[in-house]
Amino acid sequence: MNYPLWQLAIPGGMLIALVAVLHVFVSHFAVGGGFFLVLTENLARRQKDAALLDYCRRHSRFFALLTLVFGAISGVGIWFTIGLVSPEATSTLIHTFVWAWAIEWVFFFVEIAAAIIYYRTWDSLPARDHQIVGWIYFVAAWMSLFVINGILTFMLTPGRWIETQNFWDGMFNPTFLPSLVARSAVSVILAGIFGYVTLPRQEGREKVARLAALWMIAGALVLPLALWWYFARIPQFSRLYLNGVLIGVRHAVRGGVGFTLLALAIALVCGVWKPRWMRAPVVALLVICGLGMIGAGEYLREFVRKPWVINQVIYANDVRAAQMETLQAKGVSHTANFLLTDDTTSAAYGENLFHLQCGSCHAAQGYRGMRRRVEGWDSEFAADILQHLPMMHGTMPPYAGDEVDRKALGSYLAALNPAWHFEITDGNRLEVGERVFEARCGHCHSVNGNFRPLRGVFENQTPAQVQEMFPALGAMSPNMPNFNAPDDQAQALAFYISHEAGKPLLHKPAPPEMPTGTTHSQLVRPAQPRLEVR
Amino acid sequence: MQTIPIPHVDPLPLPGPVWLFTALLLVVFTLHVVAMNSALGGGIWALWNYLRGRHASHPYSHRLARELASMLPVFLAFTVTLGVAALLFVQVLFGNFLYASSILIGVLWLAVIPLVMVAYYGFYYFSYTAEQGKGVSGCVLAISVCVLLGIAFIFVNNMTLMESPERWLAMYRAHPNGWNLNLGDHSVIPRYLHIVNGAIALFSAILAYLGMRKMKVDAEYGRWIVQRSALIFTACTGLQFLLGMWLLLAIPRAIALALLLDPLGGAVFGLALMSVIAAMLLILLGSLAEKPSSLVYAGFAMSLVTLFLMVCLRYLLRLAYLKPYVNLGALAIRPQIGVIALFLLLFVGGLATVGYMLWLVARSGKAPVTAVAPY
Repeated sequence: MNYPLWQLAIPGGMLIALVAVLHVFVSHFAVGGGFFLVLTENLARRQKDAALLDYCRRHSRFFALLTLVFGAISGVGIWFTIGLVSPEATSTLIHTFVWAWAIEWVFFFVEIAAAIIYYRTWDSLPARDHQIVGWIYFVAAWMSLFVINGILTFMLTPGRWIETQNFWDGMFNPTFLPSLVARSAVSVILAGIFGYVTLPRQEGREKVARLAALWMIAGALVLPLALWWYFARIPQFSRLYLNGVLIGVRHAVRGGVGFTLLALAIALVCGVWKPRWMRAPVVALLVICGLGMIGAGEYLREFVRKPWVINQVIYANDVRAAQMETLQAKGVSHTANFLLTDDTTSAAYGENLFHLQCGSCHAAQGYRGMRRRVEGWDSEFAADILQHLPMMHGTMPPYAGDEVDRKALGSYLAALNPAWHFEITDGNRLEVGERVFEARCGHCHSVNGNFRPLRGVFENQTPAQVQEMFPALGAMSPNMPNFNAPDDQAQALAFYISHEAGKPLLHKPAPPEMPTGTTHSQLVRPAQPRLEVR
Repeated sequence: MQTIPIPHVDPLPLPGPVWLFTALLLVVFTLHVVAMNSALGGGIWALWNYLRGRHASHPYSHRLARELASMLPVFLAFTVTLGVAALLFVQVLFGNFLYASSILIGVLWLAVIPLVMVAYYGFYYFSYTAEQGKGVSGCVLAISVCVLLGIAFIFVNNMTLMESPERWLAMYRAHPNGWNLNLGDHSVIPRYLHIVNGAIALFSAILAYLGMRKMKVDAEYGRWIVQRSALIFTACTGLQFLLGMWLLLAIPRAIALALLLDPLGGAVFGLALMSVIAAMLLILLGSLAEKPSSLVYAGFAMSLVTLFLMVCLRYLLRLAYLKPYVNLGALAIRPQIGVIALFLLLFVGGLATVGYMLWLVARSGKAPVTAVAPY
């Protein structure tokens, strides 16, 4: 609300993710690969292995070209991107950690200088001096990871900093150490993966292939332990995201594990057992696995922080928690600096609010697009449900605006899809009822699942009895919107709920514990209906 | 009348005194400009000499282009590295202005990142292939140089826009998707030309210095470099006066007067004028003799002094522009003393480490070749 909002065709968060994943991929290689180079060089010199030394020389050139250019510049790219997408959060991070970044910059500076010297002086520096430069590189690179890791983990677990605002409390926060170990392990795995890119064609091929596999396995042994430690230290609401309720999270977990296992399998088969099978396509697949592993990890790390960008300080849409009350009392039009229109009754204002409030995670269409999410909503229902955003999977920040704003945004959202008109017959009543349920109730409830199940309330009730309860829904809990669907849809909905709640259950659903948003909002979590299994 | 929207300052206090951030900003930005001028000015020098050196009658040009080729990626590496530090410190003091203007030109601002990569890989390609003299090398170098010129243009747009909040709202409403440029500001073009021409001038001074060093190994080649770079330095500096005047006239009258009539601004301006004239005279006089004298070194040093003064002047100009909107003295401050001390300690340690590595390299250059064993 403070800054102009950059209106992109894709959610801003996605842009950050894209730049960040690519950068993390290469920058972790920059740490692990440096370690790999200097140790392998040492091994080659001790064993007087000319082929291995020649490999190191070629690998260092590839290493420099990838990390010095793409790695370093994409890191600056993250700075540029977060400043464009989340200026408020960037500003707070800068005000808290500018000296950490300054320290990191010193290491970065040393790292760049050492990398340039290292790869350029194979022929001119004595062996000992060359290795000293290599060690300086690695130490500087790992230290820059050390510092940045503190800032990154702070965003999810600011720990005591929230009370003290003390630099050291923020830096050495509860997840600092586990994350540092996990990132170091990932660096070691990536060193192995990228080690194959410059695999010698003839002499020394087998040795390098086995060495690189050894690195991957070593990293992979440490990684699960570090991740287990990390997940034990993240906040309760973050852990709940991992219980399988959210499809995106489920896919990311499976993807991350799958890519890592596949990479390990390739390393064992084509690295250790049959090094001659490690041809370009296999290496390419391995690199893709590495990227997939990083992508999944970063996705999860970002996701479990929702609805925050800095836990308890700034929401994912760059609104400060401390600003929320003012925004809800005065409205966006009296608070925001950069609005595209001054007319709060216009459709343009609704669209502007959508970009301001939702644009960091949602677009009108496409990935996380709103069009399909608001199917079946009318403007009144949309405006109402905006009051209950944190109840929807707990991933959403509260709505930051007054009633005028809610109405304007509600109208915009409802207009994304045309209103529903059904010809309801006995043949399609159940199907229509299910669609109405998905539109009106399904964002916060299931009937029989583990997502705030309604079975306990509606079990053994006839459709007519179910429908009788609808007008009272808004008064049942402060978290329920009023029910205002047309009669025919209400009837179909009641029929569907009654039908579903009456089904015999085949197996007991998982415990209904799930993120509700109560960890980060003033809203009260509704009493869970008791679930009985037949 | 519409009020001018200024994003409010971050609620957290500054983690260090304003003077420290200002000093660090001025120092690292000066170093960034030296590296940037070397990459851009050096790229232009390399391109020109590469093209000229393709004729057998200009062996020195060919040699210079080849020697510059291996330096260009390093120059660009340090342009970025030092630029990051400048970006860090400017965000602390003027973040609310910089974020806003960056968002307004978001697409082009973010395009800087892939563009730098293109220029960087182009420089590497040129450095690997220049020796072989392939035709495509010249094209790649030309692309890199053009890309750097484009990046400089984007930076000038953003740096002027962050100082003109009165333009923001209309610009945002016209293109909220970040497809904007600040061309409505008449100072953008002269400022851009001033910076590009300045880059060629400063790198010419650096080259004059390198030429003097070269004379110790190859007197004739070194002299050729010194005299040629002195000539270009003088010509570009002369042009710089005209561009500077254009720039001063293009800045709103009240702001230009506020800058020059301010005791500090006026003094820095006067000193910069004197030092640039001194640099010009010293380099010219030093290089004219049959054997260029050490006056060239003094001229080179004066050109660096000029650069630092110009960087200070640029900072004062920013303060003059932002005077109605910003009061650095009123910012809340809670210095993180321990972390600042640690930074300064590590900074010195980092410089010493880089110095140590350079010493290792210099030592190996002097050692007999037999000392470099393969194992």
